[in-house]
Amino acid sequence: MTADFVALLATWCIATLRSATPLIFATLGETLTQRVGVINLGIEGEMLTGACVGFTVGVATGNPWLGLLAGALAGGALSLLHAGLVLGAGANQIGSGLAVWMIALGGTSFFGRALVGKQVTPLADLGSPLTDGIPFIGTVMAQATMAVPLAILATCFAAWWLAQTRPGLKWKAVGESARIAGENGIRATRVRVTAIVVGGLLAGFGGAVLSVDYTQTWAQEMTKGRGLVAVGLVIVARWKPALVLPVCLLFGLAEVSVLRIQSAGYAFSPHLLGTFPYLVVLVVLVSSHVFARRASAMPADLKAVFA
Amino acid sequence: MGEVLARFDAVTMQFGDLVAVDKASLEIRSGEVLAVLGENGAGKSTLMKLLYGVFPPTDGTIVVEGCPDGISGPAEALRQGIGMVFQHFSQLPALSVRDNLLLAWPKTPFWKSRRNRATGDVLSKLRDMAPAIDPDTPVHDLSVGEQQIVELVKVLNIQARIVILDEPTSVLTPAETDRLHGFICQLAADGVAVVLITHKLRDVEACADRIAVMRRGAIVDVSYRGERSMQEIVTLMMGKTVDRKLPSPQPATNPVDRLVLQYVSAQAAGMRLRDISLAVGRGEVVGVAGVAGNGQTLLAEVVAGIQPVTYGEVLLDGERIGRRRPGETLSTPLGYIPEQPRENATVEQLSLADNLALRDLAEGNRTDGSTSDLLCRFNVNPPVPDKRAGTLSGGNLQKLVSARELGTPRPAILACYPTMGLDLAAIELVYEHMFAQAAAGAAVLWISEDLDDLLAAAHRIAVIREGAIVALETNDGTLTRDRIGALMAGMASVSEAA
Amino acid sequence: MSTVMRFPLLASVLTAACFLALAAAFFAALGKPPFEMLSSLVVYALGDAYSISQTFAKMTPILLCALAVAVPGRLGLISVGAEGQLHAGAILGTGLVLLAPELPGVVLIPLMLIAAAIGGGLYGWVPGMLRARLDVNETIVTLLMNYVSVLLVSALVFGPWRDPASQGWPATMKFPQGAVLPAVPDTRIHLGLLVGVLLAVGLHLFFNHGKWAQKIRILAGNRKVGEMFGLSYAFWVVALMSVGGAIAGIAGIAEVSAIQGRLQPTISLGYGLTGFLVAWLARHQPLVILPISLFVGALVAGSDALQLFAKVPAASAVIMQGLLFATALAVPGLLARWRTYRDR
Repeated sequence: MTADFVALLATWCIATLRSATPLIFATLGETLTQRVGVINLGIEGEMLTGACVGFTVGVATGNPWLGLLAGALAGGALSLLHAGLVLGAGANQIGSGLAVWMIALGGTSFFGRALVGKQVTPLADLGSPLTDGIPFIGTVMAQATMAVPLAILATCFAAWWLAQTRPGLKWKAVGESARIAGENGIRATRVRVTAIVVGGLLAGFGGAVLSVDYTQTWAQEMTKGRGLVAVGLVIVARWKPALVLPVCLLFGLAEVSVLRIQSAGYAFSPHLLGTFPYLVVLVVLVSSHVFARRASAMPADLKAVFA
Repeated sequence: MGEVLARFDAVTMQFGDLVAVDKASLEIRSGEVLAVLGENGAGKSTLMKLLYGVFPPTDGTIVVEGCPDGISGPAEALRQGIGMVFQHFSQLPALSVRDNLLLAWPKTPFWKSRRNRATGDVLSKLRDMAPAIDPDTPVHDLSVGEQQIVELVKVLNIQARIVILDEPTSVLTPAETDRLHGFICQLAADGVAVVLITHKLRDVEACADRIAVMRRGAIVDVSYRGERSMQEIVTLMMGKTVDRKLPSPQPATNPVDRLVLQYVSAQAAGMRLRDISLAVGRGEVVGVAGVAGNGQTLLAEVVAGIQPVTYGEVLLDGERIGRRRPGETLSTPLGYIPEQPRENATVEQLSLADNLALRDLAEGNRTDGSTSDLLCRFNVNPPVPDKRAGTLSGGNLQKLVSARELGTPRPAILACYPTMGLDLAAIELVYEHMFAQAAAGAAVLWISEDLDDLLAAAHRIAVIREGAIVALETNDGTLTRDRIGALMAGMASVSEAA
Repeated sequence: MSTVMRFPLLASVLTAACFLALAAAFFAALGKPPFEMLSSLVVYALGDAYSISQTFAKMTPILLCALAVAVPGRLGLISVGAEGQLHAGAILGTGLVLLAPELPGVVLIPLMLIAAAIGGGLYGWVPGMLRARLDVNETIVTLLMNYVSVLLVSALVFGPWRDPASQGWPATMKFPQGAVLPAVPDTRIHLGLLVGVLLAVGLHLFFNHGKWAQKIRILAGNRKVGEMFGLSYAFWVVALMSVGGAIAGIAGIAEVSAIQGRLQPTISLGYGLTGFLVAWLARHQPLVILPISLFVGALVAGSDALQLFAKVPAASAVIMQGLLFATALAVPGLLARWRTYRDR
């Protein structure tokens, strides 16, 4: 009885983690971008591009790691377009993000046609004779891949970066006010470009994790709004990398419940169930406004975008 | 006389059509306090921001000793030992004191954790100057005086050769001002070149070794201490002899309360008002004095019906004019002149005429065209009704708002720093109309940080500190600047005031 | 005051030139002769009566969605929810038709349009209320809500609303003749276009003349000042978000009724997003939206035909829209930069 329960708990835990992993990378990337005072809705496109390019390279080389790397680079490259439009041409951030999304949407559905039905070598799981047989841990390790610990490491690193390092301090300063940061001798534009590109790299990596590691297939528009969910979750996580992890797990849990209910054979419409993760994010977003004072956590320069 | 550390040579700075600095030449020498004196908008701050590298000059050169290539930006200026304390401090309110200091410190190591010994030195000067400030508090929780100390520490931390202070005394109590003057003289005695940007003669008298007077972007005079009388300097600053006086307060004849605050409490963004009760009578001028950031802005917005009260009432002639919940629809009957007119009182996208008629437009009425007369009466420049308000300078916007709020009779006037950013002629104009409203029976609530003005023209002066009215004194001629200053700083007890 | 004047001629011409250059480069990258492709794009969009009919058919939902974005946009709100509101309107409008398919057209069509407007309107009302009451960012909420109503359409047509006669194809029954919007004979130009044009003119009048126009302008320019003088920001947020949603809802039912003939999952080719881009290109000016939505409609219709006849991938329409919008965002800013640089 207890063993069954532990096993079930372990399956749910690892399924939630794996489902949340791509989102963790994307949300983390968006958090860092917004911390320097720039909102990037193009993150949806960057994830999609990362997924497409990552899958292509993964299929072509047979090496999933190369795929993930290529996905990250593709996301980073696309984010440069957003950086150029916003910082170079002074374009509206929302508009620029949507333009980037649109270009990625068209581009990936064009290049992605060749990928439908292809197989990719997945990442190896972390199971080993050492952990096999240990309750809970054994099950988790057997189903986890390196992407999961990487995501956790990345959030820890980002939290440390912002809180404890000199460049991280500069990032926070630029997000609060580019003008004042400039008066303190910081090159705000350079910092912003860096953060946007780092955000793009993480989003691209997350997208590649989604296609290469999680679904292991390519489908058109496969991110299904995960990038936009990430933008919403950044608000829920109050712009703190440390909170990205729990907040994304919530979305992962919602998605896993949907899959479990479907596979358990209940006669729910899969499409109706499919709305559940979005509704969860919306409810969490709204309740985070009801229960917390938002204004105190938002980087001050970001407020100007919505004014 | 010290060595020359920096030299301006026919420096000009243009923003579009506006010539902010006009062929200015000036030397900055070590061990000397140079006061740059001028009215609002004379170009003092712009001139010094050029030295600090905030923007490059349109024309002319700035030579800094030991830096032949010129200053490329604030980062370079900091490396060259030039530090600037901005009027609106260059601190990030959301970050801690420690982070703000580390940010401007060239020696901050990559790993800036407090466990890293190498970051310890950044706090040593803060501990010397203000041991009471906890380095982990966010800057927005500090008082303005404390923020200025942090700002000074930032400059001291870079071992500055040149220290530029932009209107440093405008936010301080009289006692804090005296302390700062002493500190400035000490810096100069240590061999630092201090540039003191100010429009207050009091600052000049207290510590300037050399005085540069600016008017309309040009340096009109440079003299050593004692070379000229203060009267001469004022004349140079204004471009004409000005005999400035305010109408001394006439005792209010009919003491009927019009504008009444009953137990008003409110809360907004890091500020709160606590249990404020105050009544302003018909024809009475009540001044509110206090150190900036003690709740004045919130008080103004609560009385104007912008921020809701959490408790209490604001009444005008017995009718409620305060907002009770955020979404409540409420139109204020007050004539309200807020600070920062661009953010608080005008719609930049609309024309001057529309901005003058905002009340009518908001009620859905058509407007008549009698606006150009009002624009002329209040010297709005340019007096073109069709011009968009966003194109006006801050001073002209404030005149526009004054025209709207004071141009027609009002039951009560609420003014919050109404003269900030105005030149003397405009200040006179605003005061003239404000007191004319009082003479016509309006109740005037007047928030100001200029104690001399308050003492000259208010019937009563309330002192606000930490969101509460700590004293309400009758201005019967015995009230002094020092007395108010002590109350502002919380050094005199309330019982003593009674 | 006209915004058309503030978007100077030079910038518009440069934007168009840059876009053409980019489009040509795009075709060249596909290995197609660029100039031939561009000219056939024009021919396929405007060459004959059929092409023109197609162009207007594509223009209609884009126009309505752009107006749906522009209405809250006039208050400074950034709503990206036209896609979801379009689907919500399609759902409620279709629901009414399924409920009373027997009604005569003169009754059914107005009722259907009203139901669709209510559906879309409610879908705009929710983010409007959240924004007004709780200050929840309307951009994020509308973006996420899009996915929900798109999935709801699928849930309905795969489930309870599926026509048993359609043999597994996920769609409702074919709309009865009385529920099909009247169209110009032998074309796909339907009543929706007329509604769109009338709305554009009406909204232009509403937002530029009269007392409400002034109130909205004051609130959009400075919320604090507006509220000080007795205007209710919350009221206008909810009102404009709802009205915008209603317009997008009409776009949804128009597509279902006049183009598809039944509710099915593919009623929108991303018209919501396209509409957003068009509204921004037009700076939320209803009369400027008219020509721009015509232009983008032609672009979409032309690339559709190009896909059929020149074997250009289907995605090129989306890519070209993205390029168009990126160019339109970049050119004015870069021009301004160059001007300040030159003036130094």
